[in-house]
Amino acid sequence: MARYIIRRLLAAIPVLLGLSLVLFAYIRLLPGDPCVAILGQHRTVETCAKLREHLGLDLPLWQQYVNYLTQTLSGDFGNSVINALPFTQEFLVRFPGTLELTIGALIFAIGAGIPLGRLAARRVGGWADGLITGISLFGVSIPVFVLGLALAVIFGVALGWLPTQGRIDAHFRFDSITGFLLIDTLLAGRPDYFVDVVRHLILPSVALGSIPLAIITRITRASVIEVANEDYVRTARAKGLAGKKVDQRHVMRNAWLPVTTVIGLQVGGLLGGAVLTETVFVWNGVGRWVVDAIQNHDYPIIQSTILVFAAFFLIVNLLVDIGYAFLNPRIRY
Amino acid sequence: MKHLRIGALFSAILVVAAACSGTPAKSSTTLVVALPGDIVRTDAMLTDDSNSSYVIQQVIEGLVGLAPGSTSEIVPVLATALPTVSKDGLTYTFTLREGVKFHDGTDFDADAVVYNYERFRTVPEGLQDYSYYIGAVFGGYGDSSNLESATAVDDYTVEIKLKAVSSNFTLTQTLPVFGIQSPTALALGLADNSEVDITKVTGAQGGAGAMVGTGPFKFSSWVVNDTVEIVRNDTYWNTAAIAKLEAVVFKPVAEETQRVNGLADGTYDLVQVIAPADVATIAANTGLQAIDRGSSFNIFCLQMNHTYAPVSNPMIREAIAYAIDKESLIETFYAGAADVAKNWMPMDVQYALDLELPTYDPAKAEELIAASGETDLTIDFWYPNDVTRPYMPDPKGLFEAISAQLEAVGFTVMAHDAPWRGGYLDDEYAGAYEMWLLGWTGDWAGPDNFLKTAFFGYVDGAPSTEFAYKNNKLEAAMNAALAATTDAQAQKLWEKAQNLIRADLPTVPIANSKPQAAASIDVKGFVGSAGLNEYLNLVYLDRAGN
Repeated sequence: MARYIIRRLLAAIPVLLGLSLVLFAYIRLLPGDPCVAILGQHRTVETCAKLREHLGLDLPLWQQYVNYLTQTLSGDFGNSVINALPFTQEFLVRFPGTLELTIGALIFAIGAGIPLGRLAARRVGGWADGLITGISLFGVSIPVFVLGLALAVIFGVALGWLPTQGRIDAHFRFDSITGFLLIDTLLAGRPDYFVDVVRHLILPSVALGSIPLAIITRITRASVIEVANEDYVRTARAKGLAGKKVDQRHVMRNAWLPVTTVIGLQVGGLLGGAVLTETVFVWNGVGRWVVDAIQNHDYPIIQSTILVFAAFFLIVNLLVDIGYAFLNPRIRY
Repeated sequence: MKHLRIGALFSAILVVAAACSGTPAKSSTTLVVALPGDIVRTDAMLTDDSNSSYVIQQVIEGLVGLAPGSTSEIVPVLATALPTVSKDGLTYTFTLREGVKFHDGTDFDADAVVYNYERFRTVPEGLQDYSYYIGAVFGGYGDSSNLESATAVDDYTVEIKLKAVSSNFTLTQTLPVFGIQSPTALALGLADNSEVDITKVTGAQGGAGAMVGTGPFKFSSWVVNDTVEIVRNDTYWNTAAIAKLEAVVFKPVAEETQRVNGLADGTYDLVQVIAPADVATIAANTGLQAIDRGSSFNIFCLQMNHTYAPVSNPMIREAIAYAIDKESLIETFYAGAADVAKNWMPMDVQYALDLELPTYDPAKAEELIAASGETDLTIDFWYPNDVTRPYMPDPKGLFEAISAQLEAVGFTVMAHDAPWRGGYLDDEYAGAYEMWLLGWTGDWAGPDNFLKTAFFGYVDGAPSTEFAYKNNKLEAAMNAALAATTDAQAQKLWEKAQNLIRADLPTVPIANSKPQAAASIDVKGFVGSAGLNEYLNLVYLDRAGN
């Protein structure tokens, strides 16, 4: 097991290296540079040239890449070219926001997706199955930002039921300790603020969770149907085991396997989806930050954020694979 | 079944939470303001963007400032009166207010002012990228700075000496970048010019020593891209103007629609600027108010580069000026919230004349074209495809309307577009475009800021690559106006400069837009200004109405 994990971690190195190169090249291919973003209507040829020199953007591209790589390897992820603040500090401020949103979306997707999938599987071909399959088809088809905007307009602007911007009402002023507002509000002894945070979390979580919800529902349904038709399940039923026991011990235990894989893969997708969701809901997370960075040609921030996301994705996948071994005794690495 | 139950439980939590509209009543002591973008730095001197200035002017005060609601009326702030100027126009003497303290307890006195002006004069090279206004106003740093010296005559008198006469000096000192900051805090924040690496200047980065002034609000915190918070200064020197609010929270919201939606649902109390298209939405909502700032502080022009034919021909440029129906553009794209441009600067700017620019007359345009002798009437015309600007709410729409008006009188328009930061600004600046859409938002209400800085000033002794507009007499007049020692002299020269530009019609001014603010009707006491010099200590919230 340990050897397997080490091998997987080593294999991640070339992946990240390759990604850093592609990323670097791709970002530099975008037309324009940070000069306009920094100097705005006051830029002149001279000030731009000086600025490029200070930022090291006048060096040959290969040298810029080498500088960036050596810097990153030494643990320095660079500073924003816009406000000069260090990546690591700013990333850590925003990451809790993204994580809270991602977890909210996962809870929604898993919490609703698995029961719905099982329900559909139990009534294959029935109206409930048709309805659930239809909804999940809709879920995968609709882009996150469209759904996000629609939810915001319907439940926020038109009905006024839920807030649509930010993580908490900005009128509430309190000190955030961990960055996780769900925790911080409770630490501050403000259950009313906690409720406000939950309310702010609902629409973005639903928007972001819609695609994973659809996928988890469909995989659960398919997986349960497949396992339910296995000989050993029929045998279990034939020997008179209670339906509930068969469900838990025989069907679900085996049906879990593909579902887990899919959930693991979805976590990576959620980070990507968070970029759009955070922008739509003015959510202070890494996603909205990277969108701003792209608009400002803030190279260090874009490069480092995507690299960290990629590393995160690889680690989550590794954890999923390790999780297999526990779920399925037949798998041994 | 267990999972079904968890799902049900979760849904139940959601429903309960949603139903709990029992959130606390809206605070009547905290104002939440949506700005179009985040602040960039927390040090007045190292700032050149309007969002940073907007926050900084609540916290840091200068020797002089602008009266609420005005873009050009200079009032003493930390000085007791406007400065006295020596006969040769080189020495400005300021008498300072006594008994004022910075937010960190440091005394405000002549030494503090000298410290700040010395800092302006000696900005280290590594920080000069970020101190645009200092360089622009004083013409450089160190030996090339027009600032000769600042000396403390006594505890409350400061003498500022210039090397060359600069008739815009007092006006430029109203800019938030020239705000006086606590010397103790500047040293603490490594913002005392000892540190040349901006990433280590904590005073500019929201860390130790950030934004310590004498103003009605104190800087509290900055979460980048999310929140800037300032809190009331209970010991503000101007006891008549102590802030009514306990705190102001600024939120950067780039999307215009999100700002308006957030205002409607109570997320924000005040939106600094709304799109003309949203004015109707605000008017239709009884809980909201649109705030007209009265005048304009920007100019939107149809820009042209004189290296290209046919726009190099003055008669063609005049024809273009007659071909454009500015009133209809204002009606369609600015929801009426703009004035037809009468000059290359808004009319509130010092010495601005009504230059009686051509008005819509397509027949006259056709005549001029016929008389110009130009046969190839093809014009390459560009617009930015991914932004809106306060002076240009819908670039594509404006482009299409203007193109149609040009084609109606016989021009052939070749349409081009480019992303704002991804080529547009670089290329127009380098002189790659024949005709394009661009404007300018004023920094200070002096004609030099528009006519010279924004448009037609020479670069390194030659016409700019941007417009390639050559007029040596104009350049000389503008420089002489800046060197004038009396107001009357400056006025005469600036009027001459304006008439010279009018005669050449190098570009076509279209509109001065008046971007509006919007607020909840609970917001009272807000005094809008086209220059965004808006002081939130005057604002209070009256939630009783709701």
